[in-house]
Amino acid sequence: MFGAFRATNSLSGGLLWKIPWRLSPTQKYRQRQRLKAVDSVVETLSTALAKKGETIKSLERWKDEMPTEAEMLAKDKYTIFDRKEKRYRKGIHKLPKWTRVSQRLNPPGF
Amino acid sequence: MSYFRITLHRSAIGLPQRTRDVLSALGLHKRSQTVYHPVEPQFAGMIMKVKELVKVAEVDKKLTKWEVKAERRPDSGFYLEKMAPRMEDEGQKVGSRVLARLRGEEEGVVVEGVVREGGGKVRI
Repeated sequence: MFGAFRATNSLSGGLLWKIPWRLSPTQKYRQRQRLKAVDSVVETLSTALAKKGETIKSLERWKDEMPTEAEMLAKDKYTIFDRKEKRYRKGIHKLPKWTRVSQRLNPPGF
Repeated sequence: MSYFRITLHRSAIGLPQRTRDVLSALGLHKRSQTVYHPVEPQFAGMIMKVKELVKVAEVDKKLTKWEVKAERRPDSGFYLEKMAPRMEDEGQKVGSRVLARLRGEEEGVVVEGVVREGGGKVRI
């Protein structure tokens, strides 16, 4: 039961990663801050270009398609669609590099 | 002319090569590095590519590398006071005048009697 040769999950099965199934309240808070930071960058770009009377396609497309942090549903902020999951949703922290990629939209109806 | 002040906030480690190339095209190689680029559509497009990694502000003036560094430098926690003007040491002043009189350099000082006291004080 004790000692170097005890049968633990990681010793008998090799690699064992334990990722909690949901985000903690602080992780959710930081996720919101990151979403807001991206919104503010987009806002800065669009106001700066608007002063010169210019715009760019990627900026327009982002503003058309992407909801801002305030407009997003909690479901979309903290979870992501996955066709293999029960009820088709898993925590957004399962997404690789999830703190540095934008993942705001999910299939309609899911 | 206004500029985008772009600071690399998040590292691009493990992100696609295209993303890292955009950062290096912007001149961002280290975290917390700040660069300035004019407000032009091509720079806005590059910033859009890396919007999750940078902090952006629109500013009127380009700061030099040293000015940016000075902004980041924390308060030293102390300040140097200038030396307060001191009362002139009366004994020394009189003594030097007496010596000048004795040497015959200064006129008009009447030396009544020079008394040397313990601390080397000179009294007229």
